Amino acid sequence: MTIEIEPIVGRYTRVRIQDDWCRVYFEEAGRGIPLLCLHTAGADSRQFRHLMCDEAITAQFRVIAFDMPWHGKSYPPIGWEQREYRLTTALYVDTILAVCRALDLERPVAMGCSIGGRIVLQLAHAHGTAFRALIGLESADFQQPWYDTDWLDRADVHGGRMCAALVSGLIAPHSPPQHRHETLWQYMQGGPGVFKGDLYFYRVDADLRGTLGGIDTDRCPLYLLTGEYDFSCTPEDTQRTASTIAGAKVTIMQEVGHFPMSENPEKFRTYLLPVLEEIRGREERAK
Amino acid sequence: MNQASAAMHEANALCARFERIVKQRANGDRLRVEQPRTLSAVCMIEIGGVAALLHIERGAIVNCTRELALLTEWDFAVRGSCAAWRALWQPLPPPGWHDLFALAKRGEMRFEGRLHPFMAHLQYFKDLLALPRSGSERSAPQ
Repeated sequence: MTIEIEPIVGRYTRVRIQDDWCRVYFEEAGRGIPLLCLHTAGADSRQFRHLMCDEAITAQFRVIAFDMPWHGKSYPPIGWEQREYRLTTALYVDTILAVCRALDLERPVAMGCSIGGRIVLQLAHAHGTAFRALIGLESADFQQPWYDTDWLDRADVHGGRMCAALVSGLIAPHSPPQHRHETLWQYMQGGPGVFKGDLYFYRVDADLRGTLGGIDTDRCPLYLLTGEYDFSCTPEDTQRTASTIAGAKVTIMQEVGHFPMSENPEKFRTYLLPVLEEIRGREERAK
Repeated sequence: MNQASAAMHEANALCARFERIVKQRANGDRLRVEQPRTLSAVCMIEIGGVAALLHIERGAIVNCTRELALLTEWDFAVRGSCAAWRALWQPLPPPGWHDLFALAKRGEMRFEGRLHPFMAHLQYFKDLLALPRSGSERSAPQ
């Protein structure tokens, strides 16, 4: 019998994030340029499992994805039961930079989706020298809210079913059922109030319109890729954002929604591979 | 046929299509539509200017009718334009026309009334209201 083992390796690290020590779970695969992946709100690092099993990527990149505290296999900080989870811009940036330090990542490429796509804009603005390139998936400086987030966390509604049903429409109708439902399963498994807490960052704390001056895309290239079926962060939202950042490169992905890496990995790689190749070529030329 | 009567004709045709498919498939097609055992509600589905009323008892649709008496009560309503339902029911709806909330965001769909049963069983209602999706090729809504 052939035993099939994926190349993904998962481990834990202790990370100091603001006032808390957090036990953070991360997975990785591959060798080369570090590529740090940031999952969407209310989900976890499993969204990037297909990238980590793609030899066209892992031959050149060390792909790393971590579960934010409160998500996936990363516990909330000690004393979580005494507080309401609310992700802020500062906490999100501190988390990413702390994980980079803990894993000794030297100027990684960071790629984030949705809230991760929003935060890479802030990283480009305030920490561009710490990254060799930034990739925002479903990324915009702002987008119009489309539902009341109180529905996400109330005792008389099943939170997992609620979160999954709400985001189900963000997946393109073309995406294979297996990947659609796997993406939704992740949303069904989130802790109570965690998706809502992430959206505090998205909806309340991180309206980045007019705040992103000084981004130097010569020093740190910025790529923005958005699915045409994403009605939360629309292609127009991404294009409007890019129009304020000199040198930002936009790609609109056909037949893809809000979760490109997990809802349709085969389609997504056709858009991602040229971006990664451009980043790798730039590194080669710089040597 | 003038514009108003053509619109009403289409609304009636779309609503009849919905009623027919719900009666044929909603209670039997467990692969596509989860049966929410705890759900009992009266739902108004409005297509253009034409309404259908769904009576759901313990997860089963016990009645679907377009014959609404004056002052008929319902728990919640999902109201959409003809363009919204026509686009939503294409096999591959165009971007922004492919989901109830995408349609709401663009002003083509509204949710009204006591929303708890709708939201607590949201995937069920999304699947139920997408049942007529079949047939034609993808094209932009008119």
